[in-house]
Parts: sequence; C-alpha cells; structure tokens
Amino acid sequence: MIARFRNLSLQIKMTAISLIVNLFVFSINIVLLAGINIMSGRIDNVYKENMRLNELSVSLGNVQDAMTEYLNAKTSDSLEEYYRSAQVYSDQAEALSSEVTGSLPDRMEYAIRNMSSEYLSEVSETIEAKRGRNVEKYRSHYEEATKLYSYINTYIYSLNNEQFKENSENYREMISAFKTFETSGNMILIAVIIVNVLLIIRLTANLIRPLKLLAGKADEVGKGNFDVEPLTVESEDEVGVVTRAFNQMVVSIQNYIRQVRENAETERQMKEKELLMEAHLKDAQLKYLQSQINPHFLFNTLNAGAQLAMLEGADRTSEYVRVMAEFFRYNVKKGFQTVTVGEELELVDNYIYILNVRFSGDIIFEKDVDSSLLDVKMPSMILQPLVENCVNHGIRDMLGEGRIKLSVYPMDDYACIRIEDNGIGMSEDTIQKLLNGQQPDPDKKESNGIGMDNVIARLKLFSESDDVFDISSEGEGKGTKFTIYLKKGGDN
Amino acid sequence: MKRKGKALNSIVIMITTAVIIALTGALVVNFISYSRRFGSAEVKVPYGHYYAMITDNSDSSFWQSVYAAARTTAGEHGDYVEMISENLSRDYSKYELMEIAIASGVDGIIVSADESEQMTELINDAASRGIGVVTLYSDNTSSDRLSFVGISNNDLGKLYGELILRLASERVYTTDTIEAVILVDAGSVSTGQNVVLSAVQEAIDGESEETRALHPPIEISTYTVDPTNEYSAEESIKGLLLRERSTLPEIVVCLGELDTVAVYQMVVDYNEVGLVDILGYYDSEVILNGIDRGVIYATISADTSQMGVSSIDALTEYFDYGYTNQYSTAGISIITKDREDLQEGGAP
Repeated sequence: MIARFRNLSLQIKMTAISLIVNLFVFSINIVLLAGINIMSGRIDNVYKENMRLNELSVSLGNVQDAMTEYLNAKTSDSLEEYYRSAQVYSDQAEALSSEVTGSLPDRMEYAIRNMSSEYLSEVSETIEAKRGRNVEKYRSHYEEATKLYSYINTYIYSLNNEQFKENSENYREMISAFKTFETSGNMILIAVIIVNVLLIIRLTANLIRPLKLLAGKADEVGKGNFDVEPLTVESEDEVGVVTRAFNQMVVSIQNYIRQVRENAETERQMKEKELLMEAHLKDAQLKYLQSQINPHFLFNTLNAGAQLAMLEGADRTSEYVRVMAEFFRYNVKKGFQTVTVGEELELVDNYIYILNVRFSGDIIFEKDVDSSLLDVKMPSMILQPLVENCVNHGIRDMLGEGRIKLSVYPMDDYACIRIEDNGIGMSEDTIQKLLNGQQPDPDKKESNGIGMDNVIARLKLFSESDDVFDISSEGEGKGTKFTIYLKKGGDN
Repeated sequence: MKRKGKALNSIVIMITTAVIIALTGALVVNFISYSRRFGSAEVKVPYGHYYAMITDNSDSSFWQSVYAAARTTAGEHGDYVEMISENLSRDYSKYELMEIAIASGVDGIIVSADESEQMTELINDAASRGIGVVTLYSDNTSSDRLSFVGISNNDLGKLYGELILRLASERVYTTDTIEAVILVDAGSVSTGQNVVLSAVQEAIDGESEETRALHPPIEISTYTVDPTNEYSAEESIKGLLLRERSTLPEIVVCLGELDTVAVYQMVVDYNEVGLVDILGYYDSEVILNGIDRGVIYATISADTSQMGVSSIDALTEYFDYGYTNQYSTAGISIITKDREDLQEGGAP
C-alpha cells in the first residue's frame, strides 16, 4: 500500500493528501452540521405546541361564530359552516391528551378536551333548539355554550401561556446548549486544523525529503565534490526519475574526469621522457665535444698520418693510425644515433686494438658473438665506454694478466651483451649507486668522457625499461660483469 | 534528530486525533442525552382520580397549606388534586370555577362553599354527573355534597370569646364599653359564621360576675366585609378603621386569613397600634410576625394539613366504598406571643 503510494506521481500524491485532509474536515463538519440541524429542528418543535393551540383556538372561534351566525341568520350556509367547523374542532380536540398526568399541559388538555365535548353538545343542542324554534331552550343552551366557550378560551390561552413559558425556558436551555455545541464545534475544528497541518507537514515532508537529499547532493557536486555516494531511489515518481538521472550524471562525470586525468598523466609522462632524453643527449654531446677536441681535425690528420706511413712502407703504423682514425670517425659519424650491435662491436674492436698497441698487448680480449644478433638495434656509444670502464677501473691497476670478455647471446626474446673483466671488482654499494643512476665517484675523470651513469640512463631511456642493464661483482678482486638486455625485435 | 522530530510529529497527530474523537464523541453523547432529556421532560404516569380544589383566595398560605396536604395525600392514593384557579390566566369566581370543574370532567371537587342557592345548584349538578363534592372549611348544608371538612364553628366562637375576655381583663379600658367587632363576609350569611357569632356571645355572657365587674361592658357587633377580592376586603376594612380615634373599636375579630392581614396592615399604617387589639385567624408567617410585634394579640389556627388530608380521604372513601362521613372537623388552637397553644376540637 505504502509502496504503491510511493510510486504514484507527485500530482496524484498531492491530490491524495489534499483529499484526505479535506475529507477529514468535511466529515467533522458533517457531524457538526448534523448536530446543528437537529438542534434547529428542536427549536422549531418548541413552538409547535403553541401553534397547535392557536389553531385549536381559531377552530373554536369558528364554531362559536358559525353558531352565532346561524342563530342570527339561520342560513343553510351558516349551518353548513357550523357542521364543518364543529367537525374540525372536534377532531382537533380529540387529539388532546385524554389522561391526567403529572404534566400540567396534559391535565389542561384533558380539561379542554372534556369541556370541548361539553361545549359541542351544548352548541348542537342550541342549534337543534333553534331549528325547533324553541326560543327559551336555545337561549339557555346558547348561554351555557357561550360560557363554556369563554372557559375553554381561557384554558387555551392559559395553556398557551404556560407552554410558552415552558418553551421559553426550553428555548433558553437549548440556546445555551447550542452555544456549548458551537464552542465545542469550534474547538474540534481548531484541533482538526492542527491535525491537518501536522498531517500535511508529515506527508509533504515525505514527498520533499528525497528532493532535499537530491538538492544537497547536487550542491555538493556543484561545489566540485564529484565523489558522492549515489542516492537511493525511494519512489518511482518524478523525484525518483530525477534522482536516477542525477545518479547517472554523477557516474558519467566521474568516468569522464578519470579519463581526462589518465590522459593528462600519460601526456605528462611522455613529455617528461622526452625532456629527459633530450637533457641526457645534450649532456653527452657536451661532454663528448669537450673531450674530443675537434674529432674531424683529428680524423683527417690521422688519415693523413696513415697514408704517410703507407708511403714510407710502415705497414703496422699505417694500420694503427687507420684504426685510430676509424675509431674517431665512428664517434663523428654515428654521433648518438641508433646503431646495430655489430657496429658497436666494431668500435670496441678498434678501441681494443688501439689500447693493445698503446699498452703493448697487455689486455686479453675475448669475443663470443652470436652472429645472428648483430643486427639488433641499440643506442650508440654504449659498449666502448663500458669496455673503457673495464680497462680503466677493472684491470689497469691490477697485477697480472688483464682479461676482458665480451659475449653476445640470445636469451628468450632478448639479445644479451655481457662484458666481464677479471679486475678489482665493485662493491655492492657502488653497484647500487650506478644502477640508480648516480655517479659513484664524481671526481674521477673518464678518458672518453662518457660516464657509466650516462650509459645506463641512455639504455633505460632507449628500452623504456629499468631492467635493461645489470652489474654484478662477486667481490673485491673477482672482476665485474655488465649485462645489457636488448629486445630482439625492438626498434624504438 | 530528524527521526525524533518525525516521531514527535506522529505522537502529536495521534494525541490530537484522539482528542478530536473524544471531543466529538462527548459532544454527540452530550447531544443525545440532551435530546432525550428534552424529549421527555416529565414522566407521564396517568393518575387514577382527578380532583379539583376550589377556594377563594387560593394564593393565601392557609389554602396553600391545605392544598399541599391534600396533594400529598392524593398522591399517596395515586390520585391528583389540582387547585384549578392557579393555572388560569383569569380570575374566576368560585361558581365559575365550579362550572369549569364540572365541564372539565373531574372525578371530584373540593370546594370552599357557601350557603348560596347557586352553590347548591352547582354542587347538585356535579353530584348528578357522578362527581363527588366535598365542602371544605365552609359548608353548603342543603346540597348533595358528600362530606364537609372544616372546623367546629362553635369551638372557634368559644375560643374568640375566651380571647376577648382575656383582653378585657388584661387591658385597662377608659371607654364606656369595650367594642368588639367581628368581621363577617357580606352576602353569604353562612350558618357557619352565625354559629361563630353566637358562640362568641355565649362565651361573653358566660363570664362570672366578679370578673365582669372589673371591666366596662363588652359589646359584640359585626362588620361586613366584601370578600369578592382582596381590594374589596381592604376597602371594607378601611371604613372600619378610618374613624375618629374615640370611635375606633377596641377589639377586631377576624375570621379569615386575609382579613387578619389586612387589618394588621391597616392598624400599623394608621398608627393605631395599641388602640385596636386584633384577634386573627390562621398562623401564616405575616400573622405570626404581627403577633411577635404585638400588633396582633392572638390568632386561632386550624390544622390545615388535617383539613387537606380529610377532604381527600372523604373522596377516596366515597370512590372506594360508595359512602363517607358527612362531617369531619380539624383541630384549632390559639397562638399568642408566648406561643401558648390551647388545643380545642380535633379530628372527627
């Protein structure tokens, strides 16, 4: 029932409330009006008796008049009139009380009734005597009748008075009852009004509560808090529909906001990456330019030196100078482009050759390369700095034979490049610093200028992954291993 | 908080609705009871016999006292007695009231009659219609009345005579004679009053020689009062008391309550207290007051309630057994300032 009411439309609900309230007032009014009606009916009744007596008096007068008229004129009309009025009066007198009771009006009616029959018989005898032309007789009967007529009139008058007195008393009583009734009626109506107001407050509160909730939520949303709980739909009326739509709207807004936020985040990340990459490049380039004093000049002069050595027949010198020129040219030519593993390996070979000439073959360089992986892409200037690092930090200051091993092998989807030395090794602390992109020893100068941090950072940027590079060392004097994991098909 | 408000709201609604229902209910119940009360103002129990009581001056406390006793007695028998003149807006004479009572179809009439022929005819007419007539206080001996209820006029006269003698011996009279005037009703020279007069005279005459010598001789005379209404009585009495002081009667004897009151009032008004001694009749409050103030020397009271009871008893007996006592007398007594009562006469 209540649930069904809830699902009605607002208009019907409002109508229902006003109907209930009005019906309540109406029914109370009906009761009050019925009371007032009955009371006014009683007031009418009060004077009914008086009216009846007045009629009786008039009828009595008619009989007397008709008799007198007949006695005077002796017309058949007056006789007829006499019969008629006597019948009317007789009927009316018959209706009077025939019992002697404690009520004075009853006793007086009883007297009137008896006197009336006495009177009517006297009148009838008078008429008879008149018709029989018995003057003596009709005169005496007439006198008797007239006397009775006056007695009856007095009785009627007195009774009328008596009843009027009594009725006035009743009337007063009734008026006071009426007043009481009116006062109570008013009190009841006031109470009804109070109940009605409370009822309306109660019922409309039920109607408006969802609206208020909705308004509150809307206000919250309006202030920017989109993270609101959805409202429960209590009814299927207009408010229910609006509530549902509101809930839907809030959810949509929430989704939209999430999407916008995600987009912004992605964009920000991309921008950040780009900026970082650029910064590193700039950094590397700067360092490179600082370290390579005009590589073109160096390359050209070295090439000239190589040709000179060839002309003089110094083949080994010529070879050495050519490799050196090659080495520098790589730097100049490739710069910081994406290169293949093969190209990088070539640079490492050149570097080792130069070093071996310089340090008269102290460094033993071993290569174990899976030639299928030579075309894997990677950033330039990665392997040579690593090998240089091995030479500078790993094996330069050690006693005995320095050994560097470079291996390229596949592992799952990755092409792994491992460079290991048998040098002094690295402490765990240093490894962690390097992997986190910090310069473990900022004072140390690199011969080639490109630091480990730069290498690692560029690798990470290239592969968009943190797991592209690994350093391991089994401790002091046990060498260091650098491993690079490159995606085989990856060509970012 | 909100829930609390809502609960409060509900409670208020419930209470107010209950109040409304209670009020409406009370109103309806009240209204119904009012209607009932109004609908049947009196319990209508029919009475057995309906008697009419007819007297002169029915308003006087004497007759009212008789009437009250009669009513009570009639009520005990399931009958109803009515002083019919009371309910009428016009004043009717006893004779007219008799006619009305006869025509009204009453079962019995209690009338304070007189010895007039008219009264006799009316009583006989009533009797011929089967209406029982009891004469009260004053009789109509020649009629067909069932019974007479009254006081012994002989005893009454004797008591008045006694009171006159007492006055004559108590007072110091400087006049040649002690004039005692007895007020009698005009027209109806009732045998009752004649009996009273002769009884008074008898009592005076019976005074012993020794005491008779101590006061001037007592002269009894009558003065006629028109009893038709209060004013006529007063007018008549005015003629008696508005005289030269020397010619004023020494003693005025009143045989009725109204006469007593009228004389008492006039004596006070004309400043004749102490000049005229009043011997009154009946013990109404006004008369007793007059006695206390010393204006009325003494009054003779009849046992009014016994008269009322006896008259109804006579009618009841008649209707029950077909006959009743012809006479019954009520007791009389003297009331003076000392309330010293002298009982005389009594029940039949």
